[in-house]
Amino acid sequence: MYENRPPPEGINVSDEHPLKDFFILFGGIGVAIVILVIALSFVAGWLGRFVPFEVEKKWAQKALSFSESVGDVSRSEPQGPGDDQPHAVQLYLQDLADRLADAQGLPDGMGIRVHYVDDDTVNAFATLGGNVFVFGGLLEKLPHENALAMVMAHEIAHIKHRDPLVAAGRGLTVGLALASLAGLGNSQAVDAALGQVATVTVLKYSRNQETAADIAAMATLDRYYGHLSGAEVLFEALHEHSQSYEPPIFLSTHPVTQQRIDAIKAYRRHASTTGALTALPTNLPLAR
Amino acid sequence: MLDLGIFLTLLVLGYGFGRVAESRHFRSIIEKERDFQDLLTFSERTLPTDIGDVDAALVGGNVVISIDYFKRIAAGLRSLVGGRIGAYESLLERARREAVLRMKQEARAKGATMIFNVKLETASISKGQNQQVGSVEVYAYGTALIPTAARPVASGV
Repeated sequence: MYENRPPPEGINVSDEHPLKDFFILFGGIGVAIVILVIALSFVAGWLGRFVPFEVEKKWAQKALSFSESVGDVSRSEPQGPGDDQPHAVQLYLQDLADRLADAQGLPDGMGIRVHYVDDDTVNAFATLGGNVFVFGGLLEKLPHENALAMVMAHEIAHIKHRDPLVAAGRGLTVGLALASLAGLGNSQAVDAALGQVATVTVLKYSRNQETAADIAAMATLDRYYGHLSGAEVLFEALHEHSQSYEPPIFLSTHPVTQQRIDAIKAYRRHASTTGALTALPTNLPLAR
Repeated sequence: MLDLGIFLTLLVLGYGFGRVAESRHFRSIIEKERDFQDLLTFSERTLPTDIGDVDAALVGGNVVISIDYFKRIAAGLRSLVGGRIGAYESLLERARREAVLRMKQEARAKGATMIFNVKLETASISKGQNQQVGSVEVYAYGTALIPTAARPVASGV
């Protein structure tokens, strides 16, 4: 009388392999994000260069909450009674920075202010307003002034290229864009995945900036010392320090140290590689 | 770096387990549908006049199926650009058919031969952060007709 026939399969469920759909979507949206980030980064970087250095300095004071006197060699106080060594190290670093800035030819009105941080961290960085931070841990690893000059010239090159400002503008723009995209994916995991794509794209810019700063630093050293001897020691020291863990290239802010050493070696073909190394001042607690 | 690793691991795990679970579930559904084929279901509300002498009982079958991580990501990406969410289509198909089967199972336990007025309800449950769908519930219910064996059909007087 009545009969329920079994329904045919494959009407409500498509036969298409789920991975195919997934990769097409992920690839397409990933490419769109990369293009968006590249476009925004370019605009942010391009506009950033129009900000006068004076304005950047004011922002830096606000952002880093510096008072005028902090880190200012001419006015800074010794850290404590009978302990004026950080002060002396800072004076020396500032003097070296000024000489290297001259050799690098900073534009008028652009100045470098060095801050020595008495800390074991093996690092140095340049930030907004021409402020360069050098950590004690890095100084301990450097055997002579030439290696230190490589660090310093590298950070000065960042200032000259307006990299901290461009990076800040880029971070802000891309961050805002991603924040406004968040929630579209209807899932935090999707947002996170798309954020990773954007981060990897931004890191590419970061590595390009580092490479440009390395090249400018080598040119500066060549001009200042007349040779490039000792510059690679910086990267060898960094390499030794970071050997335990180095992220894959697409996830690093900096080029892999081996690549940087290779870049120095490549650059040195155009420059003199032999020359006397300048010792670090012996009265300072630098070379140990 | 770590984030990316965790993400990829979850994605692969979700895909692997989800895929196996889904194909296994479809196999079991098709097999059970064959078993229950003689138990007829109708969406009709009113009974045919020649149905005979029957008892009626409400029967229902309920199923909750969770999406896997891979499906969540795939659906999330899909929701950016629009279109068929294949990942959810197969999920709901499984849930609907399984719910009907469980309803039939209850009906057979009651000795029914037909179910009339079959209806399906769907709800997404465990909406978590960002209102993301965690799992789907389908409830199938209907009126089971149980032939009254004691009284012969259309015996008259």
